[in-house]
Amino acid sequence: MTNATLNKTFSFERLALLVRNRALEDFPSVAIVAGILAGINLLSILIAGKAVMNDPDGQSWIFAISLAGLILAGSAFKGMHDGRSGTDWLLLPATSLEKYAAALVSYLILLPVAAAIGATGLSAILSLIELIAGGQGGRILNPIQAFGVKGWIDFATGALVLAAGSATFRKRALIKTLGIVIVTVLVASGLLFVAFIGVRGIQGLPVPFVRMSDGGWNINGDMSMKASPALDVLLGIVRYAFVPLFALLYGYFRVAEKEARDEVQ
Amino acid sequence: MVKIQSMTFGYGKRPLFEGLDLRLEPGTVFGLLGLNGAGKTSLLKLLAGALSPQSGSISVFDAEPRRREAAFLADTVFVPEDPWLPAIKPSAWLERYAVFRPAFNRKAFLELAHEFALDEDKLLTRYSYGQRKKFALAAALSSGSRLILLDEPTNGLDIPSKSQFRRALASSAEADRIIVVSTHQVRDLERLIDPAVIVHGGKILFSLGSEMMAARLGSGHVRELGPDVVYAEKDRVGYSVLLKRSSDNTGSGEIQTADLELVFNAAIAAPRRLEAALRGESLRPLDPADAAQAADAVRTADQAPSGAAKDYAEEASK
Repeated sequence: MTNATLNKTFSFERLALLVRNRALEDFPSVAIVAGILAGINLLSILIAGKAVMNDPDGQSWIFAISLAGLILAGSAFKGMHDGRSGTDWLLLPATSLEKYAAALVSYLILLPVAAAIGATGLSAILSLIELIAGGQGGRILNPIQAFGVKGWIDFATGALVLAAGSATFRKRALIKTLGIVIVTVLVASGLLFVAFIGVRGIQGLPVPFVRMSDGGWNINGDMSMKASPALDVLLGIVRYAFVPLFALLYGYFRVAEKEARDEVQ
Repeated sequence: MVKIQSMTFGYGKRPLFEGLDLRLEPGTVFGLLGLNGAGKTSLLKLLAGALSPQSGSISVFDAEPRRREAAFLADTVFVPEDPWLPAIKPSAWLERYAVFRPAFNRKAFLELAHEFALDEDKLLTRYSYGQRKKFALAAALSSGSRLILLDEPTNGLDIPSKSQFRRALASSAEADRIIVVSTHQVRDLERLIDPAVIVHGGKILFSLGSEMMAARLGSGHVRELGPDVVYAEKDRVGYSVLLKRSSDNTGSGEIQTADLELVFNAAIAAPRRLEAALRGESLRPLDPADAAQAADAVRTADQAPSGAAKDYAEEASK
């Protein structure tokens, strides 16, 4: 790095170094998880003749990758809050924006891509082992098909929210963030429900709600579509624009305003 | 240059500094002295950008620390009392962290690491407290930064390491660099720090340059308290005294360079007496009861920084 780079408000060189450092720090734990998953699949080949995660739609792998990514995003700023490492974290010569962006690049892009490549390779190896072991050779993961753009957007939204939680809470950030998300969704749903009744009356409720009131609990994924196109648009805006944007900005400001007050000397 | 103007900072409702003003010029090693809880570490963190002032301003070589710009962060290095190091080897640390500082002198670092006998094959987290401290100090002194902030750097160092550190610090004191050392172990560094800045009760009580101290103050050991004694501490055979230098320091035995620990204790227990001595004014003779009260005031002040010492100081100056 040169002095010229140092004077830049945002440097891609520093961002790359920060992302590299995060990757090197996270690699051992990701490798351990990958090893455990490989072990479970090998065991299932031995016992049942089939790699348990090589399912036809590849959702087991996608679930594992998403879960790992969400957990890592949920602890992205753990070091920043630590009484001892926090000061070093804050004073590492890079801007708050670069440090924040490095976490997002790592867990929203780099980790899913690297993990998907790794999982595809592992899936292929397991499939081969299955064939050699006399099985049918389960389906090799196609991450693009299995994840899809919508899947990635959902994952990225969740990762952004959890990263913002990690930037906010010093301890048990993951649990606290999930708690807040659940409470917010429940309260918002309740308010929406009440508002809907207020506007349309009980007869105007969409079919799944009516069934709920009849004790049917027959909720399906198309509820918002059936409810109303306007409501669908509103929920879409909240889910895909407001929530990610809010989490993105809130998380950044928490990082930028962080001070080393956790260890008062 | 470091410039603090009317700075106020505190934790919760407790103000630590109120309207603090301070100016630090390059080419010096400032000794930041203060009681426990006086805010030495907080002041270093404020200068480093790890904390933000509630009001007032801090400027470090024309940069504002609270903004934490990359250029400022690379130009400043802070070594806490108990440094944190990641679970990697020294060579990996150089590759991962030193690269953020373009002025980092790798050769100087390796030389210092060798001098401090740091094990290069060991994970940094497996280092002892003293080794971690030496590693962090070596990194700081090789950083190429113009502002070096060291919090209790000699704590945890063995005797040979203290000497090595003193040598390294002396050779790092360059004309364009400001080194601020917060310490309780004043005797470890008293020949290096100049001036000594004494922080007490949320403000800078004294900023004492070595020339001024050499010209106006001295230390000695006496059996009886005589004239010109600024502050005295009783021991088994007499008193260790801080003296005002004058043409007739008779009966005071051999007068030596002012002991910084006595200067510090005098600043806390009898600030107005010390101020008068520095101005060359005549002092009211100190009797044994005064001396005992002053020593008590320092001890009590350690538990309540702005309590007993302040009271005694006011009383003694009447």
